[in-house]
Amino acid sequence: MKPSFRLDQHPRRWPQPLSSPPAGYFEQLPTRVMAQVAAPARRPLLPAWLRQAPAYVRTGLASTVLLGTFAASLWLGGKPMVPAAAPATLANVPQEQLLNYLTNEAHLTLLDLAELPAQNLTSTQQYLRPSATELTEALDAQPTEEATIL
Amino acid sequence: MEDHEILAKFQHPASRNLAFNQLVRKYQQKVYWHVRKMVIDHDDADDLTQDVFVKVWKYLENFRQDAQLFTWIYRIATNECLGFLQSKRRKFFLPLNDVGAELSAKLEADPAIAGDEIEPKLQRAILRLPDKQRLVFNLRYYDEMPYEQMAEVTGTSVGALKASYHHAVRKIEDYVTNADNPGYSSDETD
Repeated sequence: MKPSFRLDQHPRRWPQPLSSPPAGYFEQLPTRVMAQVAAPARRPLLPAWLRQAPAYVRTGLASTVLLGTFAASLWLGGKPMVPAAAPATLANVPQEQLLNYLTNEAHLTLLDLAELPAQNLTSTQQYLRPSATELTEALDAQPTEEATIL
Repeated sequence: MEDHEILAKFQHPASRNLAFNQLVRKYQQKVYWHVRKMVIDHDDADDLTQDVFVKVWKYLENFRQDAQLFTWIYRIATNECLGFLQSKRRKFFLPLNDVGAELSAKLEADPAIAGDEIEPKLQRAILRLPDKQRLVFNLRYYDEMPYEQMAEVTGTSVGALKASYHHAVRKIEDYVTNADNPGYSSDETD
């Protein structure tokens, strides 16, 4: 029969049973640990004079800041928001550029053109120059709905 | 440098880094080996050892000097190890035996274990213990820590620690004696 194993009779691996860490590990470890703990050097959130001030001063100051922020947000929030020069942008585009775009690049329907004379009748006539016959033919060719709108 | 000197210097911002550097140098080997015996793998032990010292740095200001500094550090290291092993199981949905098998595989690869008939069996037997019992065994058998200090580290009563160590020894002896028997059930030790 196999003899029973007794732990107290077994020679203990000393100091440790496992293989050693890489050479120089314990020389480098303190530097690596220090790099981790010292890197995020904590900058105090408040200046020193404020941290040393009595609690009632800090509370008063905090309340003032809070009220000030609230008042400022109310004051700014009361004014109507004006978009920054958006309406002026289209007005600044020269009329000729607009018409060039509309006649050469934009795909317009009759409805679009029908609204144009309301803006500037002279320039519409200048670019379209329709004869009475052409106009009648064009109108006759359109579906009834669009003609109604015109 | 004595612990009380380290603690006194740590309180002053000017000498804080120097004091902590001394603390790491003083306890790094104990912490590393304590962790290494629990997680076996060097890389894991390296990560955990650094984590332990980062926590020591973080909480040293609040350390109450009614406990010994090194038992307090051991306690942090112990919690880190147990948390690591627990999260490993949870992360990979591994049962107890699979983590044990993974640790055993790492152990087999360790050149220090090879070339001996009993030692690999002994180490396998230790790895088969539940984590907390393995911790108790390591502290007592390898670190020769008195039960009173073990109680501080583990937060367990001296009586419970003695019983746990006694059971651990019995399981280990049983495994090493019978592991080669064909009818030996591997579950008996868990």
